[in-house]
Amino acid sequence: MSFKSILQDMKGDFGSISRKGFGLRSRSQRVVEDRSPAIVDALKQSCWANMPPELLRDVLMRIEASECAWPPRKNVVSCAGVCRNWREIMKDIVKNPEFSGKLTFPISLKQPGPRNSLIQCFIKRNRSNQTYHLYLSLNQATNDDGKFLLAAIKCRRATCTDYIISLNAEDVSKGSNTYIGKLRSNFLGTKFTVYDAQPPNGGALTTKCRSLRPGSMKRVSPRVPAGDYPVSNISYELNVLGSRGPRRMQCIMNAIPASAMDPEGVAPTQTEFLVSNVDSFPSIPFFRSKSARIDNSQSGSGLLTGQNDPMLVLKNKAPRWHEQLQCWCLNFNGRVTVASVKNFQLVASLENGEHENVIIQFGKVGKDVFTMDYQYPLSAFQAFAICLSSFDTKIACE
Amino acid sequence: MTSSKTIVLRSSDGATFEVDEAVALHSLMIKHRIETGGADSTTIDVPEVTGNTLSKVIEYCKKHVEAPNSDDLKSFDTDFVKVDQAVLCHLAKASYYMNIKGLLDLSSKTIADMFKGKTVEQIRETFHIKNDFTPEEEEELRKENSWNLFV
Repeated sequence: MSFKSILQDMKGDFGSISRKGFGLRSRSQRVVEDRSPAIVDALKQSCWANMPPELLRDVLMRIEASECAWPPRKNVVSCAGVCRNWREIMKDIVKNPEFSGKLTFPISLKQPGPRNSLIQCFIKRNRSNQTYHLYLSLNQATNDDGKFLLAAIKCRRATCTDYIISLNAEDVSKGSNTYIGKLRSNFLGTKFTVYDAQPPNGGALTTKCRSLRPGSMKRVSPRVPAGDYPVSNISYELNVLGSRGPRRMQCIMNAIPASAMDPEGVAPTQTEFLVSNVDSFPSIPFFRSKSARIDNSQSGSGLLTGQNDPMLVLKNKAPRWHEQLQCWCLNFNGRVTVASVKNFQLVASLENGEHENVIIQFGKVGKDVFTMDYQYPLSAFQAFAICLSSFDTKIACE
Repeated sequence: MTSSKTIVLRSSDGATFEVDEAVALHSLMIKHRIETGGADSTTIDVPEVTGNTLSKVIEYCKKHVEAPNSDDLKSFDTDFVKVDQAVLCHLAKASYYMNIKGLLDLSSKTIADMFKGKTVEQIRETFHIKNDFTPEEEEELRKENSWNLFV
């Protein structure tokens, strides 16, 4: 190309200025350096910033499609943190775990798992500091390779015990801004309530909340007063054989209707973490009343589902007595290898009888290692909380 | 050569390139222009692309049209995108506007690979992207980022 056409290039389209490594002769570079740094910066920025939306989407889709499993899946989350545009596109591309079977953003932990396959996780217990860490299994063969999901710390109080659940592996406290929810047990360790730090339906509360104005919900910075929304009640009982038989376990899922189990059913799905404001009055009036704190330490009953839609009840699958082995047996498909009273499988208990499908299973594989597998309509958070109750319950079983 | 018809492509900055029609048709956008522009259209304007980028695009099209079955096509492609990230950006945009699927796939994939393995900050810095989140959103993103990177 002639020098003249190179100069013409220089004066042309913005983006062409930023091509440092394009093999230009030194004469042309002197022309570039005459421009002020501010202009050069602005020109540099425009090249990527002005990418056609379909092209950017194509690039981000490639990343999402190729980074299916963890650890590479972190690249998907990183791209979503770059700027608003990228975030919007990536959030649109990434499907919820219910449809993709994959956990991506932290909010995935509050969303139902897939319908026909279990998401496999494991829990590591640390007795010295009373903490529990939940990991997504990366490797079927070992329970050492995992992506950290949630952490819980046990806090014993005068009349109950709390397990505080958080996104932060190291700072697990209710005051921390990574607080997700908690599990509270009664004194005897026979009844538990799971609380979610935010409303299960992503902000649309029903009867208990006064003056919710749906129109006032804005996307940019939705706020809720910090609260505890009861989402599940778990109870343990001895079975008819007393302590000689496996205990009976029941979970009433306050926030999941039984109809969620239908083929076309829907389970509540949160779409984003809401910014909670403990001290200040919300700037966007979410609730007219300041004290719209929902803290129901009694077992919540049917408030968060429709009136004609009963809540989903999960019960533990009854083990079978194995005459030859002289023990109670459940088929964990190899996922549980150590006998323990804590081990369980829960199935949906519906009007037309119990489902065969195991919604959640939990059991011991090592000294302080337990596997946890869950699927729709439970979320990782709910499953984790249910499993934590199994650690605490004091019903002895010989 | 069966057909010696040539087309002139004109970039946004007035640079002109004479290419064989077969090469030009590798761009579906140009193909469409020719088909709808009538028999007299021998100069096609490509206002979305500068001369430098257009020159490279033509190089790509020539190789893929004239030697589509050559053994070194793969290595040609690999080397073709070993360029400065700004050049890559222009190539991707050009291939998008000019509707050249092969080049679009190639550059798009290369860009995707460049994003991988980088932190949020590194991506912003490398690709000069402005952080336009509010301080409140930044707070939420910090949480997400810590969780994301925690092993």
